[in-house]
Amino acid sequence: MSYCVNCGVELDKDAARCPLCQTPVVNPVCPVDTTIPPNFPVERREVEPVNRRELALLLTAMLGCAGGCCVLLNVLFWWREMPWSAIVAGACAMLWVWTVVPLLLRRVPSLVLVGLDLLAVAGFLYLIALAVDGLDWLVRLALPIWFGCGVVLLFLWYILPRRSILSRCMLILGGCVVLMLWLELCIDLFLGSYQPMWSIVVAAVGLTLVLPLLVIRYRPDLRREVRRRFHF
Amino acid sequence: MGRRGGHDKGWFQLDNAAMMYSAIQSGNYSAVYRFSAVMTKEVDTQALQRAIDRTLPRFPGFHVKIRKGVFWYYFEPDDSPGPFLQKDIQNPCQPVYFQNKDQLIRFFYYRHRISMEVFHALADGGGALVLFKTLLAVYLRELGEEIPNQEGILDVEEAPDPQEWEDAYARYTRKRVRLGRSDPKAYPCTGTPEPFYTLNVTMGFVSVQALRQVAKGHGASITEYLAAVLIQSILARQRREGRRRELPVALAIPINLRPYFPSRTLRNFILTVRPSIDPELGDYTLEEIISQVHHHMRLHINRQEMQGVITRNVFFQRFLPLQLIPVPVKNFVVDLAYRLAGNRPYSTTYTNPGAFRVPKEMEPHIQHMEVVLGQSYAPRVNCASISYGDTMEITFAGTVKETDVERDFFRTLVRDGLHVKVTSNRRE
Ligand SMILES: [Zn+2]
Repeated sequence: MSYCVNCGVELDKDAARCPLCQTPVVNPVCPVDTTIPPNFPVERREVEPVNRRELALLLTAMLGCAGGCCVLLNVLFWWREMPWSAIVAGACAMLWVWTVVPLLLRRVPSLVLVGLDLLAVAGFLYLIALAVDGLDWLVRLALPIWFGCGVVLLFLWYILPRRSILSRCMLILGGCVVLMLWLELCIDLFLGSYQPMWSIVVAAVGLTLVLPLLVIRYRPDLRREVRRRFHF
Repeated sequence: MGRRGGHDKGWFQLDNAAMMYSAIQSGNYSAVYRFSAVMTKEVDTQALQRAIDRTLPRFPGFHVKIRKGVFWYYFEPDDSPGPFLQKDIQNPCQPVYFQNKDQLIRFFYYRHRISMEVFHALADGGGALVLFKTLLAVYLRELGEEIPNQEGILDVEEAPDPQEWEDAYARYTRKRVRLGRSDPKAYPCTGTPEPFYTLNVTMGFVSVQALRQVAKGHGASITEYLAAVLIQSILARQRREGRRRELPVALAIPINLRPYFPSRTLRNFILTVRPSIDPELGDYTLEEIISQVHHHMRLHINRQEMQGVITRNVFFQRFLPLQLIPVPVKNFVVDLAYRLAGNRPYSTTYTNPGAFRVPKEMEPHIQHMEVVLGQSYAPRVNCASISYGDTMEITFAGTVKETDVERDFFRTLVRDGLHVKVTSNRRE
């Protein structure tokens, strides 16, 4: 029998290396015995990871079927003059991106997936605009709002997981405030001139909520006190 | 049979710990553990299969399927044949899938080794060991030995006793609930994950006599001593990582509640204690860590405190608004909470089910016992130990590539003058 020169533990007779530190066994008196059966079975069993393909296939079939049927009905029977089926098909495509793509792309970071979801929303908006002849409101209202929501969402998605509860509250509140300001800006510009009203109120409320959190966050003794009171 | 109406129809509800284990179980994680007995002769597979078939009817709670209702999971007796003895594999403690006809209990053989794997929702280590001990006795009887029903071996000719399937948590709840405070975050001790699904197992064998002497020299029990050495290895690992701010290192040590609250249940009846060391307070010597662990365990393992925790857990389980949430939502929330909080206050788990005692007639047939805790929720290594005769077996099992925790652990034992024999299923 051999001992690891590094760890001082006795090893199996058939061990070529120490399992703890990977030091090779060099023992001229007692060479590694490769003839004896190993202490643990060598045969592995591979479990299949849970199969998400089937679910993805099912969802694809459902959504594809719904979209396809609508297009067919639209072309053959009802309101042939208006392409209402395009909207349904677009909605199906958007749902597909939301549900099936995360199932298929399991290794892609979630930030990318959220980005894809947002792009799907943009595509859907574009489709609606095309269908109802509304390219004007699309460019001047819908896309700016979409852009604002997207930026805030992606930013929060990226930054939230690694923060404490306090920071999360602050960031979400801050995100909401920014979003509201941006929303009113877009709407006002679409309707005429920019006259900030309600978003200022929201911002004021938001900031009054954020400020105490900020103080608590950066005053350790205060933070400890709050933790003690609220048990988190 | 049964105080609860459901017993007549054959199904029974999951206990408090089982609910948790079922809720957090997923495609690549389940709480599964394994006990193995290494016999002196090679396993006679036919005799062992006969023994399984004769033993399991006495333990109806292990031969069940888990079913998903709308509001809760429940167990249903499994009338399909089996479980069948299988050839052992290199990567033990594979996850169970509720959807398939997957057995919640599995039996394996490899040369001299008989292994039993149990999904933790069925029973804790104490309960599973009663089954395993009885199975070994029946197996040896099949081989023509005379084994008496002593040392906790149950008579397989008897009818199953309903008291063995009671939900002991429910029995020992108090009237008043006191909501507790959550534990602070601990050093996570995670490493490089191995590819799905690998379980690296490293076992060390130490003499119980020598270990007891060393532990006594430090003024502690064997469990306290081993837990302290484990904490020291994890502290050293955190130090090597060179963090700016070091987190406390805390262990989850399951405590068998049966000595404190009399119950004959074979289902789950455990709670965890959480000894911890905060390196931000300064460096601790092994002596000081042992003293901390020793006093923590003596201070916190008492009936009153444990009953408080039981009451709180059962209160949440019985809280009607929570009960009315459908299972998928509940699972999602419990899983999320476990991901965020449940596993966070612990660096790793160390469990010691204690000495495995058998009647004198069985002793010549068993070389030693082994225990393997299946993978943790996070990629990290966990520790378990079991003693039989004069052999203490200590297992590190996990889904990480690194071996530094177990290396430091066994090196410390060697430095304390103990002879350690190491074996592993790792292949390089
Ligand atoms: Zn070594």
